[in-house]
Amino acid sequence: MEKPQETSWVLLVYKIPSEPTSSRATIWRKLKRLGALLLHDAVWVLPATAWTREQFQWLAVEIGELEGEAYLWESHLLLNGQADALAQQFQARVDAVYQEILNELEREDADLVALSRKYQQVRAQDYFHSEVGIHVRKRLMSARGGFAS
Amino acid sequence: MKWVTWEQVGVDRMACAWLITKYLDPDAEFLFVPAGHKPLPEGAEPFDIPGVRLSHHRGHCTFYTMLREYDLRDPVLQRIARVVDEADTVQDVMLEPAATGLDVICQGLRLISPDDQVALERGRLVYDALYAQFASEPTPS
Repeated sequence: MEKPQETSWVLLVYKIPSEPTSSRATIWRKLKRLGALLLHDAVWVLPATAWTREQFQWLAVEIGELEGEAYLWESHLLLNGQADALAQQFQARVDAVYQEILNELEREDADLVALSRKYQQVRAQDYFHSEVGIHVRKRLMSARGGFAS
Repeated sequence: MKWVTWEQVGVDRMACAWLITKYLDPDAEFLFVPAGHKPLPEGAEPFDIPGVRLSHHRGHCTFYTMLREYDLRDPVLQRIARVVDEADTVQDVMLEPAATGLDVICQGLRLISPDDQVALERGRLVYDALYAQFASEPTPS
């Protein structure tokens, strides 16, 4: 996943009845949890891995069960530079959360339990292995206090 | 009888195969087809394949569906279903810390196994162990 230009992407387009609103919210929350990006308010995208393929596939099944309709593709970007730009969008989003963790860690009363959980959640969405993430991990490990290693 | 699923088994399918052999069909024979392959072999019950009866439904994993379809009400099995749900699907509420580890272990089991058949056999030990441990703890209802 280090080279965006070689990345395949999984794309999900769906529609779902507006009522009940809980169905729409459920699907939306799952897409957010997966760290999928919504392009132009139309297409949800994730870099293709065995895991993201499977998760999108089950989500498509769930959308069907909620009386909706979903299309799922796997594709490559053809225009030069677009894959890198897209990867950077994914990266920027996780880096923003990593930065929040670093800022919180500066506080005297930082809640290490909550921050560790936040780190685990964002790491699950860190498809392009952010350098900031590695830094956050080191900071969290040294923030536990007491012994240095 | 024969049971069929896609190749490259993981946490959910190892759990299902364990359940099938232990509770439903001691002589179960498992067949594997490449992901997306059609048609499925005749006379074999498909599981964990999108769109079939024994598959993910309403955001739950296939193991959970199987407990419901076969009316298995053992609370220990229900708890394992919760773990597999959290390991294999996106859940807002995470109550079982074993889930993440179990997923990683099952993926690793597939990596060190020469084929899916062997991976399912090895997975049985993991689920026997999980069952025994959960059975020894007070069951959260």
